[in-house]
Amino acid sequence: MDEAIQSEQQQHLTLVIRKACFGLPTACPSCLPVYIYLKFANVPFDLSYNLTFPDSDQIPYVDTDTYVAYNNEKGGVIESLKEDNIVNLDAGVQNLPEWVSTMAMINSWLSDAILYELWVGSDGSSAHKIYYSDLPWPVGKLLYLKQVHNVKQLLGISKETAERREEEIYRRATMAYQALSTKLGEESFFSDNRPTSLDAFFLGHALITLYALPETSVLRGKLLEQANLVKYADKLKAEFLDAGSSSPDPSSSSVPRRGPSNWGSKPKGQPKRERTQEEKSFRRKAKYFLVTQMVAVLVFLSLLGGSDDTEVDADGDDGFDYDG
Amino acid sequence: MVKEDNPISQVDEDEDEKESSNGGEEEEEDDFDEDEDEDEDEEEEEQQLPVTSESRMRAERARMEGIFHRISSERVPLRVHDVLIKGNNKTKESLIEAEVEALKNATSVQELLQAATIANARLQKLDIFDSVNITLDSGPPELPGTSNVIVQVVESKNPLTGDIGIFTKPEAKSWSLEGSLKLKNLFGYGDLWDGSLSYGWDQTSEVSAGVSLPRFMRLLTPVMARVSLLSQDWLKFSSYKEQALGLSLGLLSTKNHDLAYNISWRTLTDPSQMASKSIRRQLGHGLLSHLKYTFKIDRRNSSLRPTRGFAFVSTSQLGGIFPDYRSLRFIRQEVDLRYALPLGFAGAALNFGVAGGVLFPWGNGFLNTPASLPDRFFLGGNSSPVCTLGGPTSLLGFKTRGLGPSEPKRQVKTNSEDTNSDTSERDFLGGDLAVTAFADLSFDLPLKVLRDSNIHAHAFACAGSLTKLTENAFQDFSFQKYRDSFRSSAGFGLIVPTKLFRMEVNYCYIVRQHEEDRAKTGVQFSFSSPL
Repeated sequence: MDEAIQSEQQQHLTLVIRKACFGLPTACPSCLPVYIYLKFANVPFDLSYNLTFPDSDQIPYVDTDTYVAYNNEKGGVIESLKEDNIVNLDAGVQNLPEWVSTMAMINSWLSDAILYELWVGSDGSSAHKIYYSDLPWPVGKLLYLKQVHNVKQLLGISKETAERREEEIYRRATMAYQALSTKLGEESFFSDNRPTSLDAFFLGHALITLYALPETSVLRGKLLEQANLVKYADKLKAEFLDAGSSSPDPSSSSVPRRGPSNWGSKPKGQPKRERTQEEKSFRRKAKYFLVTQMVAVLVFLSLLGGSDDTEVDADGDDGFDYDG
Repeated sequence: MVKEDNPISQVDEDEDEKESSNGGEEEEEDDFDEDEDEDEDEEEEEQQLPVTSESRMRAERARMEGIFHRISSERVPLRVHDVLIKGNNKTKESLIEAEVEALKNATSVQELLQAATIANARLQKLDIFDSVNITLDSGPPELPGTSNVIVQVVESKNPLTGDIGIFTKPEAKSWSLEGSLKLKNLFGYGDLWDGSLSYGWDQTSEVSAGVSLPRFMRLLTPVMARVSLLSQDWLKFSSYKEQALGLSLGLLSTKNHDLAYNISWRTLTDPSQMASKSIRRQLGHGLLSHLKYTFKIDRRNSSLRPTRGFAFVSTSQLGGIFPDYRSLRFIRQEVDLRYALPLGFAGAALNFGVAGGVLFPWGNGFLNTPASLPDRFFLGGNSSPVCTLGGPTSLLGFKTRGLGPSEPKRQVKTNSEDTNSDTSERDFLGGDLAVTAFADLSFDLPLKVLRDSNIHAHAFACAGSLTKLTENAFQDFSFQKYRDSFRSSAGFGLIVPTKLFRMEVNYCYIVRQHEEDRAKTGVQFSFSSPL
């Protein structure tokens, strides 16, 4: 892997992205490619989550104390990093016409498809989880409705054109998947047998389509038809994303809804054992608690019983005195 | 017939009872004739039967003087039989009845007169009537010693009024040009609706609409609700812009106490894309839901040029009272204490003041979360500490948001070699603990011309400090460091009070500042509007 980091920028980089969910370090389509790109480049960086600005086009961004590479400047974060000589994986390929047109296809057809699927094509639960789960309800709801409206405008979807546009978007996505599948073949990467930003962009798209979209999603179905692309995605995910990266965000307690079947088996055994241990200690504690309570009640009753006797005696005495 | 016109001049409850009763006294002759001497009326008439009108007038005058003496020297019992309300076509009876409630409990003439004055003032204060008349009439002839009260109101013909002026908004902490439209008494409950547009000195703009109800259910004080859309531009100082859409409810509002609830959706953005790191991390949306309680006592003799008295303000804010745990949670407390001491010569006075404020978030992980940016304290600006009452805000000599914790802004590499550091632009982040103190000696100038227009001079000294406590910064807190964080300035100047605002021309000398503060020794202008 080629990397070129200038010494002046050797201050520690921080990547600001949207929160982790669905088992991915982030499930936002514009943030995940940048994360993957930095992982490909093996550049050390800190992670920081922005949970309150879902409609910002500045996110994702990479920053140090005084340097920032925003998403809405100079063609994106990856382009800025290349231009500022911080990380450049595309040396040698970025001028090849085929590479450029494949990139253009991913960044238009596939990007539109996932935008459509998240905001219009599904019930919005994935989008809500990715963008609005940390905003108070009224704010989140209003921003969601605003974004749905914006996406519909961007994709040219109205009452009259809805069906036609949907068909067009899915058709283009299918064509793109077929073309990419043919281009990839059995290779590990798309070009030059090394990761480039093209791999970062496609891998980001593929992982979100496979893991964040609901099972009923049409787009997801179309991607699953290309077996080599799915294999490519899983392999790179295991190699770059899962290896050695424990979830950096403790607040994200979301469990992935689906994963490859071999994921689920390991964790199942352990929890059962733990549960029984917990149960045992709980039962023991409960027993102690009940015993102490019973002892306390008995002591109380005995004292009360004793004092009752004395009271009765006193009354008796009084009675005698009185009568006497 | 007795008329109680011009009650505004007699509004003060402290005013001498005798004065008001004397004022109305002379017009009351006929009534009290009828009320008290009813039984004796016939007798008197039989007895007197004056021959000429002159002697009749003399007799009446004598009788009046007798009554006058009687009322001013002893308590004359009287009972109110009925209160009649006339002239209200739109206004609900219950509203007017509630304001004149106290009249029914009057047991003597003096009490009745006082209650009538107060009731008149309260009805006028509702601001929905063109005029209010309260008349005391004799009661039914079969019930001696009673009186009927007639409340005659004239409703405003034109319910819509417009207004343009320069006001001070406590939230903006500066003054603004405001235009508003008011709609009075739309539904007959004394409701006042208003819509206003305001543009502020520091590029704050606000559009808002509100309604005020004098009586809502059984609450004793007026209730207000206001919806507003506010936009503030802090790009020059802290590289962010703030927009807030909010609803505020005034729950309790008396002379000394004020309780309000506010819920607003606040968005911080940075269109310049030059913000520093801490500001970048704070951008986004937030829901602010807070309860604000203000306690205020102002016993100074003037708020523009106090020479005697003291004032105290305490503002407490509790943020995060909303069912959703993701709303902004913090506790904010401000106190401000002033004292003015007259020195007895040349109208001189010594003003002291000390103000402090603290802000701290609460909730899960509160030790590590930063305080919400727009709620922090910021010191500096062009307003005079003598006039701005309400928390630590001003330190003469320092620019707006000109001191405290700061961070370098983003540096953009340009092709030419020009270093980006003309003071390498910094963002001021505000602080969680603010303290200011000042001492000001003001005195008249020898020239009579200046004295007549109340132009006077002053010499002052101020000190202040702004520090950060959140994100575990309080663990590094030490007394030495805190003492070092104080900035101070001193100077003298001329004060020119005009009708709209108070202008000062000061020469400020910065005694102590930190390297990154925006402060300048020299002549500066300062404007204040009395709050």
